Amino acid sequence: MRHMQIRVLFFGQLKEIVGASEERAELSEGARVEDLFERYGRRFPKLAEFRGSIAPSLNQEYSDWRTLLTAGDEVAFLPPVSGG
Amino acid sequence: MTQQSQTAAAEDIVRLVREPIDARATIELLKAPEDGALVVFDGFVRNNFKGKSTLYLEYEAYEPMAYGKMREISAYLRDHLAIDRIAIVHRLGRLEIGETSVLIAVSSAHRAAAFDACRYAIDALKRGVPIWKKEYFVGGAVWAEGEKPGQQAISAPGPSTC
Repeated sequence: MRHMQIRVLFFGQLKEIVGASEERAELSEGARVEDLFERYGRRFPKLAEFRGSIAPSLNQEYSDWRTLLTAGDEVAFLPPVSGG
Repeated sequence: MTQQSQTAAAEDIVRLVREPIDARATIELLKAPEDGALVVFDGFVRNNFKGKSTLYLEYEAYEPMAYGKMREISAYLRDHLAIDRIAIVHRLGRLEIGETSVLIAVSSAHRAAAFDACRYAIDALKRGVPIWKKEYFVGGAVWAEGEKPGQQAISAPGPSTC
């Protein structure tokens, strides 16, 4: 199974839970956005509690949890927004 | 995005800034001789939140995506309403009480389109643009309760709860 590198970004309270705004993750080909989140959810159980209120983005567009990842993708987990 | 709206969007003012927003200067840039209306929404920092006194706020954004979504809002409005120019400016970093966090201004030939576009733009921004606010109080800080973001906010937002 080949591996691919994904850039992962965290914002707001998720950044504070993870303790970093950016990480590089290595996943096997065929992994989806939700697989990446589950990996972080295992490392940071508090992060997993946010799953229902998070919108994932892929390459700066809103995405779906089921979307397949490609090497070099940029994924962000966006907590509820509060601009304005 | 159509070629037409891309060309038109080049005239729009879409910015994330870290210095104070100069509302008056921004507004003057939007006025053209053929316009007859200008509607402005000036969102500024209030001194309280749920009964607590706010000391100051901090805003952060997923900047490249926020720019993209703000441009999509202006393009959507241009495609659907008879407006002339749009400014969507959001400030990031630390803001004191009374300082402007977001300025939205729309010029048009007649008032209805400018009112509609301004209201639409702030509602879409609050639900569709990745920006976050942290409120600082005496003895603590909290991330503002927000809305789960999504693309539907850009093209069909409902009434905002904020």
